[in-house]
Amino acid sequence: MALVYLNTLAHGRSGDKGDTSNVCVFARDPKDYEFLKRVLTVERVKEYFGDMVKGEIVRYDVDTLCGMNFVMKHALGGGATHSLRLDTLGKSMGSAFMRMKVDTDW
Amino acid sequence: MKKVSIGGGQGFWGDSPDAAIHMIRHGNLDYMACDYLAELTLSIMQRQRMKNPAAGYARDFINLMKEVGKEAYEKKIGIITNAGGMNITGAVDALKAVAEEQGMHGYKIGYVTGDDLLDQIPKMIADGCEFKNMDDVGDFNEIKDKLVNANVYYGREPLMDCLAQGANTVITGRAADSAMFLAPLAYEFGWKGGDLDNLARGIMAGHLLECGGQGSGGNFQYDWRGVPDMDQLGFPIAELTEDDFHITKAPNCGGLISEQSCKEQFLYEVHDPANYITPDVTVDISKATLTQDGDNRVRVGGIKGKAKPDMLKLCLGYHAGYKVVTYLSFAWPDAYEKAQYAADILMKKMKRKGMQYEDLRIDYVGLNALHLDVAEVDEDLIKRMNEVVLRIAIRTKDKKDAQLIIPEISPLQLNGPPGASFFGGRAHVTDVIGLWPTLIPRDAVKLESHILEVK
Repeated sequence: MALVYLNTLAHGRSGDKGDTSNVCVFARDPKDYEFLKRVLTVERVKEYFGDMVKGEIVRYDVDTLCGMNFVMKHALGGGATHSLRLDTLGKSMGSAFMRMKVDTDW
Repeated sequence: MKKVSIGGGQGFWGDSPDAAIHMIRHGNLDYMACDYLAELTLSIMQRQRMKNPAAGYARDFINLMKEVGKEAYEKKIGIITNAGGMNITGAVDALKAVAEEQGMHGYKIGYVTGDDLLDQIPKMIADGCEFKNMDDVGDFNEIKDKLVNANVYYGREPLMDCLAQGANTVITGRAADSAMFLAPLAYEFGWKGGDLDNLARGIMAGHLLECGGQGSGGNFQYDWRGVPDMDQLGFPIAELTEDDFHITKAPNCGGLISEQSCKEQFLYEVHDPANYITPDVTVDISKATLTQDGDNRVRVGGIKGKAKPDMLKLCLGYHAGYKVVTYLSFAWPDAYEKAQYAADILMKKMKRKGMQYEDLRIDYVGLNALHLDVAEVDEDLIKRMNEVVLRIAIRTKDKKDAQLIIPEISPLQLNGPPGASFFGGRAHVTDVIGLWPTLIPRDAVKLESHILEVK
């Protein structure tokens, strides 16, 4: 088993619409894209974020960009000024995503 | 072949003017669009306007125009902005004053009104509009008497009307961000409503530019160390012809235009890539391509358009109570344990004083305030922490409850665990504005284009 931070294989950015957080994730090297698609299932991401993301998660794939877009509802503690989080807009949800550990032998 | 070059001059209200000034001077632009409005901005502007009828727009834009407005006019660079916010005519008057002062004779300011629907909400309710929340939460009846603002997102057409009347600058309220970029492109190329693929290309030009520096190496996770000269970060510029589309930036500035920098912005805040909904067109980027095509130059391809939606998005802001955020810092040894103890003291005091709250959050800045549950926290890290900042955030229904904690923070320097250090002055209670996104029929909206010439 070889566990690595997702950050070493992928990059991306997070954005917000109300209480919905969106994280796009791209393979740093196109050859890892199929592996990332296999390992970054909605179930896995839901389990990883636990209570931080209270709503549904949907993943959209954009194969031409070797990228995926994760749309996570009720993920920002209420969103905008409702949220009591330090990061009300979820700017750091992208890096939070990237510290997930993935098993490259999988 | 005709080529149109448009720059993204501002990414938000409060952005640095440096890149916009640089691209007017050196970017060889035909147009520049400046985005000032995020989801909550109009609610904030509305409250400013309620306190001062002359306020309620992005004053930053007027300051920017003082700096480069005349040069842009002389170079025939058209400028489009949503800086009008909640006081469009206020922004127009302020810009007119600048133009007169600088002798910009014949300068034409176009502006669009009609996105502010607050006064029409009671009639729309009477007409049977349900204002169902797009996120499927809440009951509209509970917020309908607490509304702060109600603004509809609209598309390119009224902006194009201003351009057709010779506007040098177009000021709007809640035009969709990307519509500010699509409008001049559609105007220049003569794209009609059925040119769906072209309209979609124009929208994606806007999407890649509307966040300013975030499209040219800012907030770049892939390789932030590799972005040259971030102290003079240039903002992105789109160059379009009838059949080609590039992203680039002005010469002699910092920043980076690469496949990766464009990718991170491309899907940012797009939900379903096959159905990115805008007032003008539904965009399909599910098969789009981004290809390096020279130094700081990326070709964008494969964008498709589908029919525009039947409805328009209306965003309502409403009063949702109060909020207070307080901080107190602690140093080694036992920084985290002392911060926890301070939080415990404060919560006991608040309980004794009868504070009522809707929501409460205690975080430790330096440990887990950003990554929350997925931050890696272990005993060794906690033991070795040099310092930590206790952060307590409280949301209340009544203002007086939020005020209770404010005077109790700084005394903990003398009355609490050792080494507490208070900074930043006393906290303030702020209003919480809730957002209520909903859909309304297009025919409920009457937008008007106007033009004003500086003599």
